[in-house]
Amino acid sequence: MTAISENKFDFKKLFNIAGWYSSVSAAPLAFYRISFGLLMLFSTIRFMLNGWVHAQYISPTFHFTYYGFEWLPYPSEFGVYALFTTMLVTSLLICLGLFYRFATILFFFSFTYVELLDKANYLNHYYFVNLIAFLLIFIPANRHFSLDAKLGIAKPSHTCAKWNIGILQFQIAIVYIFAGIAKLGSDWLLDAQPLKYWLHTANHLEFFGPLLKQDWVAYVFAWFGCIYDLTIVLFLLMPKTRKIAYVFVVIFHLTTWLLFPIGVFPWVMMVATFIFFSPNFHEAILNRIRRIFSLSKPVEISNFFKPQRRLITFMLSAYILFQITFPFRYLIYDGNLFWTEQGYRFSWRVMLMEKTGYATFYINQNGKEIEINNSDYLTANQEKMMSTQPDMILQFAHYLESAFHDTIIIRHGVEMKFNSPSVHAEVYVTLNSRPHQLFVDKKHNLTQIENNLTARDWLEPFQE
Amino acid sequence: MSIKSLAVFLSFSVVLIACKKDDPPEEFDRGAMLTNMATAVIKPQLNTCSNKLNDLHTAAQNFVATPDAGALAILKTNFTDAYVSFELIKMFDFGPMMTYAIKASMNTYPTDTSQIQANISSGSYILTALENVPAIGFPSLDYLLYHASETAVIDEFTVGVNASNRKIYLTDITSKMKTEFALMLSAWVNYEAEFVTADGNDVGGSTSILFNEWLKDIELLKNAKIGIPAGQQTGGLTLPHYTEGYYSQISIELAKANVAGLKNVFLGAAGIGFDDYIIDVEAEGTTVSLADNIIAQFDLVTQKLDAIGNPLSDKVDTNPSGVNDAYLEIKKLLTYCKTDVSSILGLLITFQDNDGD
Repeated sequence: MTAISENKFDFKKLFNIAGWYSSVSAAPLAFYRISFGLLMLFSTIRFMLNGWVHAQYISPTFHFTYYGFEWLPYPSEFGVYALFTTMLVTSLLICLGLFYRFATILFFFSFTYVELLDKANYLNHYYFVNLIAFLLIFIPANRHFSLDAKLGIAKPSHTCAKWNIGILQFQIAIVYIFAGIAKLGSDWLLDAQPLKYWLHTANHLEFFGPLLKQDWVAYVFAWFGCIYDLTIVLFLLMPKTRKIAYVFVVIFHLTTWLLFPIGVFPWVMMVATFIFFSPNFHEAILNRIRRIFSLSKPVEISNFFKPQRRLITFMLSAYILFQITFPFRYLIYDGNLFWTEQGYRFSWRVMLMEKTGYATFYINQNGKEIEINNSDYLTANQEKMMSTQPDMILQFAHYLESAFHDTIIIRHGVEMKFNSPSVHAEVYVTLNSRPHQLFVDKKHNLTQIENNLTARDWLEPFQE
Repeated sequence: MSIKSLAVFLSFSVVLIACKKDDPPEEFDRGAMLTNMATAVIKPQLNTCSNKLNDLHTAAQNFVATPDAGALAILKTNFTDAYVSFELIKMFDFGPMMTYAIKASMNTYPTDTSQIQANISSGSYILTALENVPAIGFPSLDYLLYHASETAVIDEFTVGVNASNRKIYLTDITSKMKTEFALMLSAWVNYEAEFVTADGNDVGGSTSILFNEWLKDIELLKNAKIGIPAGQQTGGLTLPHYTEGYYSQISIELAKANVAGLKNVFLGAAGIGFDDYIIDVEAEGTTVSLADNIIAQFDLVTQKLDAIGNPLSDKVDTNPSGVNDAYLEIKKLLTYCKTDVSSILGLLITFQDNDGD
């Protein structure tokens, strides 16, 4: 090994831009690529086998598009399956390191396209996958322990630039630290909500069941979770504490996986945090894989070119700046973030609130009013998500506006003609165990309210 | 600094491990609630309904044997009793009840009177056919027995055109109701173990299934029983013939029975119910329990239903404010259940992954 094993962690190094380009072992990158590809392959198969492709992307007739992405054409049923098949194939290619650049680009676009189709399906860990896939496009993770290297498609190299690994570590730090910052609120720390309720009714575990119902356990979980999120990256960075920190990573994520229907997220994080381990650790794993598949160890060459540093420095800085500032955009707005949710998504707010709503929509024309059955237009999941999220309430109202515009509707044998009716909603919401309160007053004509990035002053004020 | 933080970590984990030795507080047991629901709520009510349907069929057979005023009166009493008993079980629309599509075949209204007439005059029909769904069940009996005066109805079954076909149709319907329900009931006996065992909080868990169907039935109470006849979905244009029990004019009685049934599920009769579940989850020192609010709201709904007066099919036009009052109170009940209760019970409605936002 060349002088690439780092045994000391030095804070100052983080800000030493020249250091971003120093040459380090590519083994962590190779292992990261393999495990990311495998996990995506597994989670895509799981998604398809669970019938979620149909449930989330084919059965809905109305789609909650993202602000700024309303123009995105909705694919046909064939198109949706084609996108998932693309993800399946490209995640396997990423794992093997075959046609890597092509595979990462295709994976990123197919995954992101699917995510952008309907925000009712938004999950923070999908966003995380989005970002990692994006970063991998620019990271040459296919030059070590890959088919590309073996077949000469990419120049083999057992080293890479330090930023290749650093930016992946940074991304994990962002997830944890912002999740930790988001927990620094009175609901979480002082009331242990929503954890208290969730633990109470969590999966029926014979042994832990009674324990989880004690209030102090909820507080322990809440404070432990918060401190864990805020500090774990630091402990992972320091070689001395790395191993014990990883034990905590496993305990933390296994616990959430056991207690909550949180999907593959715990596994994504447990695997992703391996990037903090030393090159020796990764090389050992790669050697083990070599032995299992009887692969020969290639002659080690350091084929690392110094690329256009200035462009990369600029792009990296812009990316880092965006990641650090974007989750704070909620500060622009007044009001309780949990209530208005203006700036809530894409900010690593995970398991932070229990918000449940009941939304009734009304179409009104010349004083004649009809009540809407939401289930006529929305799936159960869409209705659940819409009932508490202001932008989705507006989107659905605007959809109803178009559905009732210059239309004859027949309900229970009665023909009714609509020109341009007003749309109203009466919405009640309960937030983190508070009694339900009025969220949207029926007095507003929602067709007159634009869905944009301005403050949501049409919501009723939040009563603490 | 690092050592210190590590110490904090470790101490938390030690606390977590140490706490296992503590005395657990009395545990709320979803399995026990489900057992109580099955044995004290669902099964007794299913049995009652089954008996009432048997009686109904017997009374129908007696009436067609001797179609006189006395037999008709008995048949009508049996009809009301059976209908009321059905209102207490229609929220259990899962397992065998869903398999046998009991809810749809027993109570699709408004009934299709021309379809009934056509069936009677032709004398040949398949009652399980889709087009006959609105021509069977309680609403069809409601029509056959109540659509005209007592003497006129007796005439139809004695001297009227197709009188013998009509007799057969009547007993065909009551027989179908009795037989299907009996089949369903025997399937329930086997399903019960499965119902009680699935005590998780997941979508496939019985608690979620029971709660969601219960919620749907409150929604039906609001929309089908009151809202639609009152014109809530037709721009205020009332639809009297959309009331349940339109011909027998027992809409309010049926609605009240339904409310009592829904409340009984909430309470788990005298045993463990959703009310106990709520109280168990609620923080210590809660002054007014959500469970009490909901019980009070159930009672208020009954009170407002009573205040409407009879028959509902007239009152939607003559007492719109009374009808609207009841409607709003049902909506308040539904708001409690769809927000506070759903949130507190943490039951899932979909299989999809969730990261709590």
